[in-house]
Amino acid sequence: MPVSVLENMVSVGLFEKNKLREIEVISTEFGYCYIKTALNFGFLTRKKYVSFLEEEGFELVAVREEEMDESYIEQCDLLELNALLYAPLRKLEDGHLLVAAADPQDEKLKTLLTVRFQMPITFVAASDLDITWLVHIKRGEYYVKESVFSLMRKDPEQSGLVTFTDPQLIFIFGAIAVFVILLFVNFLKVAMVSNVLFSVAFFFTILFKLYLSLKGSMAEMNEMVNKEEVKALPENTLPVYTILLPVYKEDKLIRKLIWNLRSLDYPRGKLDVKLLIEEDDDKTLNAVRNLDFPANFETIVVPFHMPKTKPKACNYGLFFCKGEYLAIYDAEDVPDSDQLKKCVVLFRKLPDEFVVLQGALNYFNKNENMLTRMFTLEYTYWFDYMLPGLMSLDIPIPLGGTSNHFKFDKLMELGGWDPFNVTEDADLGVRVFEKGFKVGVVNSTTLEEANNEPFNWIRQRSRWIKGYMQTTLVHMRNPARLIRRIGWRGFLGFNFFIAGTSITFLLYPVLLSFLLVYAIVKLTFVTALFPDWVLYIATFNLVAGNTLMIYVNMLSVFKRRYYELILFAGLNPLYWIMHSIAAYKGLWQLIYKPFYWEKTNHGLTKVSSSANAAHAAEPAAAH
Amino acid sequence: MPKNLNKILTIFLIFFYVIVSWLLRRNGFEHSSGLFYSEKLMLLFNTNENTILTLGFTFPSLVFLSGLAFVPLGYLYAPVAASIVMICGLFYQLLEEFKKSEFSWKLYTPLILLLFTLHPMFVFAAVTGRRNAIVALVAYLIFRSLFRYYKQPVTYHLSLASIFIACFIFTNYEFIWLVLAFFPFIFLISLDGIKINKDDSPLFQYFEALNNRSQRRKLANRTASIYLVLFLLPLMAVVLFRGLNAQYAGSPTYFLDSQYANWRITGNRTVSNVITSVTRNNFIYQSQIVIQGFILFLTPIFVAALILFRGKLYELFTILAMLFYYSLMLLDYKYTLTLGYYLLFIPVGLVTICYYGTSKYSLRTSSWIFAVSTLLTIGMGFYFFIHTDNDEEYQFELEMKGIYDNWKGPRVLSESEQVANYIASIVSDKSKMLVDDASAYGVVVHIGNLNGLILPHQKSFVTIVENPTVAVKYMLIAKRENLTHNQTVLNAYNLQQMIVQKNLKTLLMFQTKNWAIYQIE
Repeated sequence: MPVSVLENMVSVGLFEKNKLREIEVISTEFGYCYIKTALNFGFLTRKKYVSFLEEEGFELVAVREEEMDESYIEQCDLLELNALLYAPLRKLEDGHLLVAAADPQDEKLKTLLTVRFQMPITFVAASDLDITWLVHIKRGEYYVKESVFSLMRKDPEQSGLVTFTDPQLIFIFGAIAVFVILLFVNFLKVAMVSNVLFSVAFFFTILFKLYLSLKGSMAEMNEMVNKEEVKALPENTLPVYTILLPVYKEDKLIRKLIWNLRSLDYPRGKLDVKLLIEEDDDKTLNAVRNLDFPANFETIVVPFHMPKTKPKACNYGLFFCKGEYLAIYDAEDVPDSDQLKKCVVLFRKLPDEFVVLQGALNYFNKNENMLTRMFTLEYTYWFDYMLPGLMSLDIPIPLGGTSNHFKFDKLMELGGWDPFNVTEDADLGVRVFEKGFKVGVVNSTTLEEANNEPFNWIRQRSRWIKGYMQTTLVHMRNPARLIRRIGWRGFLGFNFFIAGTSITFLLYPVLLSFLLVYAIVKLTFVTALFPDWVLYIATFNLVAGNTLMIYVNMLSVFKRRYYELILFAGLNPLYWIMHSIAAYKGLWQLIYKPFYWEKTNHGLTKVSSSANAAHAAEPAAAH
Repeated sequence: MPKNLNKILTIFLIFFYVIVSWLLRRNGFEHSSGLFYSEKLMLLFNTNENTILTLGFTFPSLVFLSGLAFVPLGYLYAPVAASIVMICGLFYQLLEEFKKSEFSWKLYTPLILLLFTLHPMFVFAAVTGRRNAIVALVAYLIFRSLFRYYKQPVTYHLSLASIFIACFIFTNYEFIWLVLAFFPFIFLISLDGIKINKDDSPLFQYFEALNNRSQRRKLANRTASIYLVLFLLPLMAVVLFRGLNAQYAGSPTYFLDSQYANWRITGNRTVSNVITSVTRNNFIYQSQIVIQGFILFLTPIFVAALILFRGKLYELFTILAMLFYYSLMLLDYKYTLTLGYYLLFIPVGLVTICYYGTSKYSLRTSSWIFAVSTLLTIGMGFYFFIHTDNDEEYQFELEMKGIYDNWKGPRVLSESEQVANYIASIVSDKSKMLVDDASAYGVVVHIGNLNGLILPHQKSFVTIVENPTVAVKYMLIAKRENLTHNQTVLNAYNLQQMIVQKNLKTLLMFQTKNWAIYQIE
């Protein structure tokens, strides 16, 4: 091994020699300098490293505040700057080039830079995080623009930059105009027919969901990947697996994040973990800096560019990925320890057309309050029953926000995520189908933190519903083409499931209030809307629709043995009213602030994830 | 086993039932239940007036809804086609299910085929358009789902069971009592699902579960969850039933008591009615305890199922729930039990043998039990029909006996058809006839055209009954001999009242045993 700070640490007994060999192997595979590998793969704490440098006479400079001649850094590629952790600052009076480096004793780097700049090099020590921040800000412009505009350039019809296309606006306003004219012509009849149509659509959406959950519950009978298959997977055949962790002001979660990553059963030299931090997020950056144990992730700083969304950060992160497969998690996620291996097994088992796998999501703080209980029921039903149901029917699967596992090359082929879509995951799920690929569902769970605060919940949900509306508008720009690409079944499934979800939430309070007004005060106008057969359908919908909604939620407790939650399914009609509030908020934002990312606050729970993760995993495993 | 054998046999069975039903109709045999649903289908598609009450839509019965799919075949044939498809569906499902069992196809295929072609209850259920067919099919599906759940406790089987229980109630509202009968075994299933020593006796397992705080909580939660999932949809059926009836008819039990909505009011006879008029004696077994014995006597295949469940507590309780249900139902049931109530024990017995047939005894012994009990069950079917107290069931037996001799003779018109043909020849838009389809549904459906008729769903009906001379030229009157004359306003007694009180002048134009057509002068 060439001379480096690590070798010097070994010589004074501060670092183990066998670790050096491991670092060398990883560095060669990833193309990183040794210190980057040591700091990002859990070999060395930053504090220990800094104190060693200081003992060696290298004071760390505040590189972000240093005077800089940008003509030097412009000669360097960001990928190299990021991999070798250096930043050329300026030419000194003695003719040397002053370079900030994370490893000021790295002779190999010095030789490389001397040759490149044709002048002697003087290193100053700087924090690897500051160097990362600096190089991404100074040289990240091309990459961040690519992350924002690449999809729009390659495939403008799939981009959500334009929310409503002209034909869509003509159609929407035309439909409204026709409706209003018809109301003037015969108010009662038109209102009555609309009432029936909406009621029937509402009921069929719920019936469809029941059917999907039944289909999905069949998946319980056949495990996609079993423990024996995971055990039989040879470690030496495992590919590099990238994990993207987009965060924003999640400083409180960094410690948890490290522990969660450590619990993953995957060789650390094959794990390429990227923590994606926004340029202005010093809170999280400092939390990483102040860790007093080794970090097992690489920090990537995403330069500022609108829209400030998670998909843009993920697209940016893609440029730095090394893995054959790629997964996305949130900072607070606790994935099953064998999830990555299960995905490797499943990717190898499934036909090549399966390019994405979705893991089940659930919550570690399910019993915290009523909202978390309802949320848990909903997620359990969604990920354990609905998504396997969609998979079995070959209908586009809207991916969940996290625990998506991709084949990296196919993800690049798809153009990554749409940065203008606030549910980029759902949109990507549909795009996967449109391009002729498939999404699979893996039988592995990631535990998250359930939103335990109603206003925070509505913020989060309004974003999701707005994103579903955006996704509908994007993919329904040309319905005929969509049918050609995904077939009638996919088309109907998409409209029932993704478009229908938003519409159902919007209609629910309208239909409910009409019927309640009819039942309670019997206003003449409302009574006229409910002649015999219409009232029959409305009553049937009210009773059967609400019961079926409750019923499908009740089913969800069985797989994970969350029996104590079953009575809370009865509160589902109230929970739907919260959905409706969020849906109207989402609709308003779709019109006025389509790309605005409603930030969900994490870390509000008082429940520890680790204890509950173990508790939650137990019944599922026992089942 | 030859490929597609089950499908070929099912098609054969469909042809068999179609031919039998054609021969019966040719000989003038029609079942009132089939006619009832035929007429309701006809009303649904031929009138714009509010028919919710007269169609019986205050309870969306699956029996009625199943006929909708076959309306293109004609209103008269739709209910029969539906019942044939249901019974053949049951036949096919059974064969497919047995294919997965250890029994040889050479054993179960002929046995099940014999059962479906020779057992008169199956033939009756298939060719008459009665609801027995769908009831038998749904009963089979419930128990199959439950047994599958016992073998593999996954949500799918449990949810299907709950959906089928709800469907069961939508076939016949009285099956709501079955929900109560299911209560005991669910507690046992819950106990089975929690982690306690399964080798101990059930009593000790209870002791263990109830005295350990954590286990007790789990047991309570699991029991409540299974109850709720199994019974939520049936509960919805009750709410819908009572809500729709109260909303449209002002009475939450309108459907159960209205002759317009529910065939049973006119088609089935009360126990007191039978006692005074019939000498055959199946109805005498309709009392607590005795009924269970009679059921076991009629369905040896169900007895075989009970034998196979010896030592399997909750499985045994599951099928015993059916017997327990009859005790609950008889607490408040004034009608005689028709064959449908006995028939459903046969598919339940079969599905039990299919799932547990070889778990107690060797395959050889089980095969013998299966074969003997099936053949005995067929024999008992004949016994039932010979002693039935139901006139239409008895008539069916007579028709089946003579089916071979009669088919060469001329076509026989049923009484309803004769009356309908006469009505069709005299009514027109200008010369209308007042008809009450509470009892004359069979006649109405044979007329095939509602143009010349004034029926109860029409707003003017009540006014015209009060003063017939203003709007109609004819009236169809149920004679005293007609068993349903008490359920219609247009009966011989009321006609007499009209003649006396309103000085109505009538002229008898045509009459049969049960019906008379009068012209109003």
